[in-house]
Amino acid sequence: MQNFLLHSIEHLPNCWLLSAADLPLPRAGYGTTMMLVLFILGSVWIGVMANRATRSGGFMKGFFMGNRGLGAWALALTATVQSGGTFMGFPSLVYNHGWIVALWIGSYMIVPLTGFGIIGKRLAHLSRRTGAITVPDLFRTRFNSPAIGLTCTVFLLLYMSFLMFAQFKAGAIVLQVAWPDSSELAMTEDVVPVSNITYDFDLPGYTVRLTRYHVGLLLFSTVVVTYTLIGGFLGAVWTDLFQSLLMFVGVMILLYASLTAAGGLENATMTSLKHTGPGFVTGPGYSSSVGAPDFLPLSLAISFFVIWVWGGVGTPAGLVRLMASQDTAVIRKSIYLLSLYNMGIYLPLIVICICGRALIPDLEKTDEIIPRLALMTTSKWPAGSIVAGLILAAPFGAVMATVSSYLVVLSSAIVRDIYQRFINPKADRSHLRIAAWGTMVVAGVLSVAMNWNPVQFLQVFIIFSTSGAAATFLIPAIMACYWRRANAPGILVSMISGALTVLLLYTIGIQEWLPQIPIGAQTSFRPYYLLGFDPLLWGLLTSSILGILATMLTSPPDEDLVSRMFDVIE
Amino acid sequence: MTRQQDPVVNSSFREAILVVAVWLIAMLWTITVCYRMGYNRPVEDLKFVYGFPDWVFWGVAVPWCACTVVSCFFSAFLFRDGHLGEDVEDADDLGLGG
Repeated sequence: MQNFLLHSIEHLPNCWLLSAADLPLPRAGYGTTMMLVLFILGSVWIGVMANRATRSGGFMKGFFMGNRGLGAWALALTATVQSGGTFMGFPSLVYNHGWIVALWIGSYMIVPLTGFGIIGKRLAHLSRRTGAITVPDLFRTRFNSPAIGLTCTVFLLLYMSFLMFAQFKAGAIVLQVAWPDSSELAMTEDVVPVSNITYDFDLPGYTVRLTRYHVGLLLFSTVVVTYTLIGGFLGAVWTDLFQSLLMFVGVMILLYASLTAAGGLENATMTSLKHTGPGFVTGPGYSSSVGAPDFLPLSLAISFFVIWVWGGVGTPAGLVRLMASQDTAVIRKSIYLLSLYNMGIYLPLIVICICGRALIPDLEKTDEIIPRLALMTTSKWPAGSIVAGLILAAPFGAVMATVSSYLVVLSSAIVRDIYQRFINPKADRSHLRIAAWGTMVVAGVLSVAMNWNPVQFLQVFIIFSTSGAAATFLIPAIMACYWRRANAPGILVSMISGALTVLLLYTIGIQEWLPQIPIGAQTSFRPYYLLGFDPLLWGLLTSSILGILATMLTSPPDEDLVSRMFDVIE
Repeated sequence: MTRQQDPVVNSSFREAILVVAVWLIAMLWTITVCYRMGYNRPVEDLKFVYGFPDWVFWGVAVPWCACTVVSCFFSAFLFRDGHLGEDVEDADDLGLGG
């Protein structure tokens, strides 16, 4: 693999000259490839550093929890940022629908406060009271119920696997984009791999022919699995932090570049208005096709103000990071760090993409807006290709960081909640390490296999997994934190009913059992918006009502157990 | 025997209520202003404030800045530090210290 990458770099200058001279579209060029190689090397180095930092103490707490030593920067910039995919899809939404997307993402103004302020401190506290290093672990010990632990593990494995499979495909596509002479710049999971260029690899005995997509997939998987194996949880978090900072730098440069090129924000809005229609500057948003659904009617504006805030609190990867925070001062500092970071990322990104619509009015693949804008606005700059590479490397890094954090959550659930609980409770350090590495390698191989011939049905599970995870874990987590009366049956009912509600509404929508309500983004898999609201809202509602009912109808929890979780230890 | 609830639990709960209240206010402000000023509005009388369409400025940019100020204030003065405690090693009979 490495030889292969070097081989392509050798031929770079040629490709770059050729593409610049012969073709009208700007191409990624060597700047991107170089930044990407640097990023990959940086990630492996971070993995090694993380490995050194966690050698002391027990393997499980070190490898999967970083010995509960997360600092403020690491917690702030990695706990609530959703995934590489979200960050890449967002610019395309602004490009397509206009200023209304500012309202769509508006609740990120409050995410730093809610993400850390609602259950952050108490969850970190509770995870120490229970000695938990995984989410199922925490629920199991908090309610002294193996049934809850197992239910949690099953849901977690289900959601995390599908989310992770999707990210591998995104990673492969990203590498295909970064090919020095590539003209493909779209970076979402929906993109069909189009490159037909193949490469022959001579192996002893026979020759393998692979497309760029497959080479990308193999390279991406090898790199991510390797540095996650080395660095574990801390490695995943630190790479995530690294890419978040890179993203910030990239956005700042691009903000300046695109505002200058578009001649100011008001000018950009007026120009893009000419290319689109009145919906671009008013609610409920602009859509290019006639008869398209209303992008953001009032009911969905409310839905998204709930989704980003509460969905962010309830994801397993986020919960684990809160559990790993060092002390309360770290959580406190994270609030203001993230609030400044979010303001510096999301508002500028909206401005950038509005300028994008003015500068490049008729993009066919709208996911390409950020890469295209980066290449276009920096083409006249000295070392412009490197700057463009920096901007492009940030989303690449986001995908890598997301995959590695999912890998850690997935592997911790298997090693802690299955292997250690049911198979080998007395496993020693070397056994645990082999188990952890084994699960990661198997997960990597499975992901490659699932994505070798990308199938469409996978996309359905992925969309469902995001909402499903929040609907399953959020209400139970809040009940576990603050409600002394909460008991095992109540938590079980709350988890299962939340998950089932979301599943049901997605199934109705995708199977088109009921006529669709014409709202929301135009995607191939749409949920059923009951009364116009998103499935997650209904999931959270059912989860809390049924959870509380089931708790009140069953016997209260053991007094001594509750006291161990809530009271001062004497 | 009555035992006292850990102060960390109390302060967390108090802060959680406060945060939820701020979230509700932010949601009410943002959605009301954007809906009343920005939905189904004729483009001709659209005004701009610092380059933003006026409804985005008053409905998103201003509350965003306000929320950032509130978050920093909350972090500096309202959030109470406390002792998170040590890991319980024998939380259950498995003894999963690892």
